[in-house]
Amino acid sequence: MVEDSILEVKNLVVKFYTYAGIVEALDGVNLRIMPGEILGLVGETGCGKSVTSFSMLQLVPPPGAIEEGEIYFNRDGKIIDIRSLRKDAIRQIRGKDISMVFQEPRAYLNPVYTVETQIGEALLTHRKNEFLKRAIETLERKGKKSSFEKRVYERMLKKPNSIITRIMAKFTRQKTLKEEVRKEVVHLLRSVEIADPERVAKMYPFELSGGMAQRAVIAMALSCQPIMLIADEPTTNLDVTVQAQILNLVRELRNKFNSSILYITHDLGVIAELCDRVAVMYAGNVVETADVYELFESPLHPYTKALLESIPRPGQEFKSIPGTVPSLINPPKGCRFHDRCQFEMDICQKIKPKFIEVKRDHFVACHLYGGSK
Amino acid sequence: MSALITVRNLKKHYPIFGGVFKRKVASVKAVDGVTLKIFKGETFGLVGESGCGKTTLGKTILRLLKPDAGNIFFDVPEDIVNEMVELEKVNPKSKRLKRLREQYDIATFSGERLLRLRRRMQIVYQDPTTSLDPRMLVKDIVAEPLVAQGIAKGEEAKRMVVDVLKGVGLGEQHLYRFPHEFSGGQRQRIAIARALVCRPDFVVLDEPTSSVDVSVRAQLLNLFKDLQKEFKLTYMFISHDLSIVECISDRVAIMYLGKVNELAPTPKIFKNPLHPYSQALIASVPIPDPKRRRERAPLAGEVPSPVNPPAGCRFHPRCPLVMDVCRKEEPQMFEVEKDHYVACFALAKR
Amino acid sequence: MDLSKRWKEIKIAWEPRIKEWKFMMKRMRKSPLAIIGLAIIIGFVIIACLAPILAPPVGPDPFSMRIDAELSVLTSQPTPPTVRHIFGTTGEQYDIYYACIWGTINAFRVGITVVAIALAIGLIIGVTSAYYGGIFDEIMMRFTDIVIALPGLVLAMALVIAFPTVIPLNITLIILVVSAILAIIFATFKPERKFLLPTQIILIISLSLYINSPITIGLNLSKLDKVLISLAIVGWPGYARLIRGEVLRVKNEDYVEAAKAAGCSDFRIIVKHILPNSIYPLLIVVTLDIGSIVLTAAALSFLGIGAETNFADWGNIISRSRDWIRTPELLVQHYHTFLIPGIFIVLFVLGWNLLGDALRDVFDPMIRRR
Repeated sequence: MVEDSILEVKNLVVKFYTYAGIVEALDGVNLRIMPGEILGLVGETGCGKSVTSFSMLQLVPPPGAIEEGEIYFNRDGKIIDIRSLRKDAIRQIRGKDISMVFQEPRAYLNPVYTVETQIGEALLTHRKNEFLKRAIETLERKGKKSSFEKRVYERMLKKPNSIITRIMAKFTRQKTLKEEVRKEVVHLLRSVEIADPERVAKMYPFELSGGMAQRAVIAMALSCQPIMLIADEPTTNLDVTVQAQILNLVRELRNKFNSSILYITHDLGVIAELCDRVAVMYAGNVVETADVYELFESPLHPYTKALLESIPRPGQEFKSIPGTVPSLINPPKGCRFHDRCQFEMDICQKIKPKFIEVKRDHFVACHLYGGSK
Repeated sequence: MSALITVRNLKKHYPIFGGVFKRKVASVKAVDGVTLKIFKGETFGLVGESGCGKTTLGKTILRLLKPDAGNIFFDVPEDIVNEMVELEKVNPKSKRLKRLREQYDIATFSGERLLRLRRRMQIVYQDPTTSLDPRMLVKDIVAEPLVAQGIAKGEEAKRMVVDVLKGVGLGEQHLYRFPHEFSGGQRQRIAIARALVCRPDFVVLDEPTSSVDVSVRAQLLNLFKDLQKEFKLTYMFISHDLSIVECISDRVAIMYLGKVNELAPTPKIFKNPLHPYSQALIASVPIPDPKRRRERAPLAGEVPSPVNPPAGCRFHPRCPLVMDVCRKEEPQMFEVEKDHYVACFALAKR
Repeated sequence: MDLSKRWKEIKIAWEPRIKEWKFMMKRMRKSPLAIIGLAIIIGFVIIACLAPILAPPVGPDPFSMRIDAELSVLTSQPTPPTVRHIFGTTGEQYDIYYACIWGTINAFRVGITVVAIALAIGLIIGVTSAYYGGIFDEIMMRFTDIVIALPGLVLAMALVIAFPTVIPLNITLIILVVSAILAIIFATFKPERKFLLPTQIILIISLSLYINSPITIGLNLSKLDKVLISLAIVGWPGYARLIRGEVLRVKNEDYVEAAKAAGCSDFRIIVKHILPNSIYPLLIVVTLDIGSIVLTAAALSFLGIGAETNFADWGNIISRSRDWIRTPELLVQHYHTFLIPGIFIVLFVLGWNLLGDALRDVFDPMIRRR
């Protein structure tokens, strides 16, 4: 594993076993995210970007399974092999060390609970002890040193799993604890630039506009100060002015907390606006990874070049990449892009190009650049 | 160029019913007084963010919705329209005005006349999956306008269907299949074929490429251009994607909360947007060039709800140039430079 | 027109639908319960078709059972299964085997007729309420609510008892009312020459007929018919509500609006677009209902409200056993009087239930697949 990288994915292979056949969704994906950087993952629909992000949290839905590859996560110096983690261990990481934000925020918010309740739930799951301590301090400050509630909290800190603790907890309404959580929720909502956070906290998801809901979800994702945030097309459904606000927000959050962000999108404009480094995916492979300026100025892989050319420019005809994305059930042998590539050579049909560093920190998987070495 | 469609002060409100007796408690003012002209053979771009009313405007012009106020003139000679405008100013209750309206204003059409009108204006929807009846064969879907309007049936209809399918890049072998057997791009072509089979003059394209893969978008957009030349169509291209609108439209109108803020030929409006909202909107579009990063959000706040739009100029709560008059009165569109119309008090002052 | 070419065209046109059908069948074959259900129903259909051979009728009306004269002289108790009477006899010496075989035909008749009538009423009311909405919808739905609020079985019983055996129908009055309604509808919606003239002519003719020579006929309702009608009256609100929900969902789909943009009339939209897309949940409920209707009809027969005493019907035969199972010993002794017809009923309902479940499994993924 490269020094200091937060997350490293090596040769990830993911397959889906469906009625129609085996879908080879990921065919050896290589990614690396450094601390404090925003890595953009760009590709068309079906190229495997979401599957990659799900694999990082062992969230690949059945009938999919991670077949090969390694995923290493660096938590404060300790390297964790994500694939080997058991259920309870990975649950510790989800939401706390690595958080995820999705495309349609209201689909991922429970419609029958208020924003307050949901973010509060996330907070209590991962930072319960912290809030218990705060609640105890508040009670002491108020002068209720020996109240029943305080004793319950102290007991919950010491022996959280004993039956007596649980029975005692039922006898109090835990008002102070809930109040502490609520204050934190409001603070979080304010930090994602929601105006009037007190009012918004009490709202239900359907009352929120798209932009506000997405901010609330980001607040929820950040509630446990994760080391890394995965954002899966969070602004695709939003208006362009709101998107600009959210992109700004993401940037500021990265600056404030130095968190690493994996930003998935199909919009090259967003990539150019926001990301530090870019990884381009096609049909289950990462075909090129480079610094964002480098990628836009001198793209190496033919697919990246074609993508950049297909950006609509006024006065010109709309350019598209000839052909269609291959079916992943019986993917073409060799390089998966070969039938649409204008530089296709004989070797491209037979051997899959390796993902190698062609220039400094600029990786490509293409036979044009020695992918067969 | 002559105007194919003239819209004057068009309004469409959706009532909101509440309470025990389901009385109308409020209304969503989706389109609230829009005046514009669409010229024959042009591609008229209509942009705006969600809730601005662009889809409602397109559907109301097509008379899929009944307008609550205003006039729509379809293929009416310029002098008659001018006469009606004059009459309205001078003598709004004149009998001649009433007669002219009944004859030409399609906002009031119904029954037979509306049916005959449908032949000349059609629509292509955003999502090809839901706009095609999943239980009908492609042949029946595309032939439906012909059959429903009594233009053709049976063998003749089938011939016309095959004709138009070839025009959009499909073939006879696709006739007897169900929509779900096709990809998104092909389904959209079927929807286009259905819109064109009765040879309309005017087609509303309601975000036709938003639900389709990026790689297919270019093919569809090129197809629209080719079809426009071949069938001499006039388009209204509704979209929230400004980069596409910039490349395909001749003129562009920018809508906000039910009103048109700015209307100008495409190069003018993108190089030199005048209305503060247009400026913020165009500035918010991320440019695919990292060297031109903006690193700021040009517009703060959220779009207010169309149920209770702000008084006066709809944009005034978020406008950097807001003045007192903006809070009270609604600005009217005026011509700033040739063909470039804006509705803004701050600009009118200069 | 070249016949073989036409035939080929038809084949091509139907191919995709056949493919869909085959796909559905494949899914059904995967579930063993579905196959069992289908087998049961097919079994009953075969019995029903072969009824004249399996249990040759004696007399003009095969549904009225004959008493075994010889046995009735000997005993007035139910006799257990023997060679002569495979399933035994009832107290009055009706052959249970005969009743079970011909009862199958009755079961199908009752189930399908009731469901068909209820479906017809429910569809018309549900679809028009949902499509036209507004106050018409409100009124129709409140009316439906009232009918649902009344307890089903009790209402059915009350209707059966209350229905007169002979309903005097003034045909000319009916024609007059129908033509008046049609005239009003056409006048409001399609005031065009070609419709107005014929409707006015019909109106005048029917009016003169009514005034000059009103015709009244008496409609004879057998007890079974009364049961069928009452069950249909009790059953339609469920269908109306169900189809209304589906139509409300389909009504707002893009393709319905596209059909309007293409110039389709309301009628065409409803028949060609809305109905085919909204009817599937209803079909599932219909298959389930055929079974439960038969059960309800049997319950009514058992309570004595159903058909006449000698009617060959499962419920009726079981009701004959009422007097003979008063104590546990008698129950065991005369098991054949209720157990055997009971098994028929259970299997019938089970078959339809399994079929309905299988249909639901088949249709759901098909919808999902799209």
